[in-house]
Amino acid sequence: MTVSLMKTPAETAYADAFDPQGALADVRKSAFAQFAETGLPHRRMEDWKWTDLRQLISKALPPASGTSASAEAIDDLIAASPFGDVARARLVFVDGSYDPGRSSLPATGDVEFASLGSDDLPAWVSDKLVAGSTDPIAALNLAYMSDGAALRFKAGSGMDAPIELLFVTTAEQAATYTTRNVVVLDEGASATLIETHVGGTGEYLHNAVTQLHVGDNARLDRVKVQEEGLEAIHLSNLEVHLAQSACLKDFTLTIGGRATRQQGFITFDGEHSESYVSGAFLLTGKQHNDTRLVIDHAVPNCTSRELFKCVMDQAARGVFQGKAIVRRDAQKTDGNQSSHALLLSVDAEFDAKPELEIYADDVICGHGATSGDLDEDQMFYLRARGITETEAKSMLIGAFAAEAFDDVESGAIREVLGGLAEGWLARRKAG
Amino acid sequence: MPDIETIERVREIDVDKYKYGFETVIESDTAPKGLSEDVIKFISAKKEEPEWMLEQRLDAYARWLKMDEPDWAKVSYPKIDFQDIYFYSAPKGQTGPKSLDEVDPELLRTYEKLGIPLKEQELLAGVRKHDEPSTLDEDAGPSYASGKVAVDAVFDSVSVVTTFKKELAKAGVIFCSISEAIREHPELVKKYLFSVVPQGDNYYAALNSAVFTDGSFVFIPEGVRCPMELSTYFRINAENTGQFERTLIIAEKGSYVSYLEGCTAPMRDENQLHAAVVELVAMEDAEIKYSTVQNWYPGDKDGKGGIYNFVTKRADCRGDNSKVSWTQVETGSAVTWKYPSCILRGDNSVGEFYSIAISNGHQQVDSGTKMIHLGKNTSSRIISKGIAAGYSDNTYRGLVTTHKKAKGARNFTQCDSLLIGDKCGAHTVPYIESKTRTATFEHEATTSKISDDMMFYCQSRGLDEEEAVALVVNGFVRDVLQQLPMEFMAETQKLIGISLEGSVG
Repeated sequence: MTVSLMKTPAETAYADAFDPQGALADVRKSAFAQFAETGLPHRRMEDWKWTDLRQLISKALPPASGTSASAEAIDDLIAASPFGDVARARLVFVDGSYDPGRSSLPATGDVEFASLGSDDLPAWVSDKLVAGSTDPIAALNLAYMSDGAALRFKAGSGMDAPIELLFVTTAEQAATYTTRNVVVLDEGASATLIETHVGGTGEYLHNAVTQLHVGDNARLDRVKVQEEGLEAIHLSNLEVHLAQSACLKDFTLTIGGRATRQQGFITFDGEHSESYVSGAFLLTGKQHNDTRLVIDHAVPNCTSRELFKCVMDQAARGVFQGKAIVRRDAQKTDGNQSSHALLLSVDAEFDAKPELEIYADDVICGHGATSGDLDEDQMFYLRARGITETEAKSMLIGAFAAEAFDDVESGAIREVLGGLAEGWLARRKAG
Repeated sequence: MPDIETIERVREIDVDKYKYGFETVIESDTAPKGLSEDVIKFISAKKEEPEWMLEQRLDAYARWLKMDEPDWAKVSYPKIDFQDIYFYSAPKGQTGPKSLDEVDPELLRTYEKLGIPLKEQELLAGVRKHDEPSTLDEDAGPSYASGKVAVDAVFDSVSVVTTFKKELAKAGVIFCSISEAIREHPELVKKYLFSVVPQGDNYYAALNSAVFTDGSFVFIPEGVRCPMELSTYFRINAENTGQFERTLIIAEKGSYVSYLEGCTAPMRDENQLHAAVVELVAMEDAEIKYSTVQNWYPGDKDGKGGIYNFVTKRADCRGDNSKVSWTQVETGSAVTWKYPSCILRGDNSVGEFYSIAISNGHQQVDSGTKMIHLGKNTSSRIISKGIAAGYSDNTYRGLVTTHKKAKGARNFTQCDSLLIGDKCGAHTVPYIESKTRTATFEHEATTSKISDDMMFYCQSRGLDEEEAVALVVNGFVRDVLQQLPMEFMAETQKLIGISLEGSVG
């Protein structure tokens, strides 16, 4: 093992603890070797120039799984999930390990479930666990992942009731928790998935990967809410493969975490597919959130849309890096991407890198990026109608952020998201 | 008459085709091949430079030796062997055609094709016919006739002539080669050279700082509006020679200057290196308009030969209310690596970047700009139009950033790309860093092809396919074309047509 490349205490801790066992040992070994090539990404790596993990992860956070927290503490955190009334089934993972007692499996036979922590995984799961991701954090995840949900939606099934994957990190130990989900939608299936991350106050790192394999004519709606503890580091990778005429609608709301890096790699494997990815960040204090998306139009006739709304208050820093690749023969691609940032303080910062890499000529691609303060005219309009400054600001910020989740299909989920945004604004007003 | 000599020299340099690909057979003085301290000393001695300049060069060389060649740009080319290049080459004698009749007829045809009436062409180059009453001559009267252009002509490593020096001197403007400025105006050079692009700025800037052989120097004194357009015409002629020119323009308080730059090179099978540095300093209320038509030899249809164009251009808007405007038309070079930038240091200063980058054949372009907002209420505007055809790759790479204390910064960026054919690539890589609430940044980019509707419309009105493409492309780049000085506009429009020849069908 190329341990010699490990320079920081955090990297050394990862190398020292590495001792893969079981059926996946070989896969884990090659994944770790991949991670070891670069170690933790740092700002001299182009894709990480605004998020230096060597700096952010300043001390050893050794890999861990399983919890020692009290049942009460866990239940309190679970109660913090805003989707309690919306989700029809819920799979709970506490400190990187499946908690069957607190989970409720979907009632229908249309969906198959396996816990990734179990010893013998069905072939449809293990087939999907292959080393080869170019991202060091995703590689580290495969090397260390302790648990997560594997879900398979049967061909033609229609699961309208949302399933929630709830990740609870109690922050009992300053450790790294590693989870991974594998979601497969067979031909013509449709499903709604909620992924919630909540955590206690205290230092920890959560490395989360979600793999989505959306089959021909299948459709997936996914909503992710990241409300980790405010000392937490949240690193996530979303890997999506869309088959023919497939559709993905994905929305991420980021409120928690001290430092967050969320990446999405979306690949069109089949023609006539569509991907709509949107997100909103509501950041304050010294929070840092870096979202990176890579949309790979590998085949012709696909459509992609991205919309990100970023609100930064106090000394928060938001980053959006979106890249659309249109391969040589991916003609008739329609790709559009926009990111809009609202900076509410002189110390807030927003960095954007909206990139296009295009090798086919018959395409329509574009991107837009804006950043600035609240519009003075809009403020004046509201103030002239007797609304206080604080209230007027809240209204405008709320409306700005809400545009990103306007397209979320389920009204109930939209309502919850609106409530989360309102809660953030209320805390801002009070704080 | 010294004037006639001037004209002849300029005309000689202007003789080209590849439209510009011929070679002038001329005896040259060259430095030994390769790069070493001795070669730098040789160059410095040839230029009769003072000791302090040589020290600066050697310092830059020491820095360069420790640097790595940058590899982040989206271009690929074989590694350059710096020991296989002549770093200095200067023509020994300067005899050329006496009148337009003696100019290579092929060249005349080219200029016809470029759509420049020869009269206008003369204006552009600052030459006139013997038997014609001049509208350009200094005797023509005190009027600062529009269309008058003073030219500094740089041939390989030396500036061979600078026109209109006397008339400019009357206005207090200094326009001469940088070598002359180092000798004649050392106080100005010492004060400003390396103050915008330091010796160790980047790999090619360091190389240039060590070996630069010539270039132009412009100084506009306080309150002076430069009476005519200034222009430098760069020509690489000798084989295996790199061109490393350095241009320094200083606009004092309340002054204005418009500067044009043109460049061509012969067709050769091997690649030649051009690594230039341009430094602009704009003081309070001053304005500099810098326009480039870059038409270095792009290589043949198989991608053989062509110029590597690795250029560092930067403007420092040092004073309040200063303004710098870069306009570039990039049609030549095999590989381009060029990011004209503005440091908006003064309050209310303005930076502009207008660019047309056209790539065809196997050309690779990685170009864009940097707008660095440091002063209060600074604003910048970026309009970039990239056109990729053939097997080429065309990348816009840009940075817009603001300092935390730069209140009220404003940027608008628009990058549009047009693809012609399915074997080329167009890429956009903008970096936007907004570090404070009061900064308002907007960025917009699109990529598309010429629609079939547009082609059908044009062709049904009798235009052939290539003409139709040229028409649409000219419309596409119009926003930028309009920023060019009049004299360049007509030329550029035709140049676009020529660059895209063979891109359809």
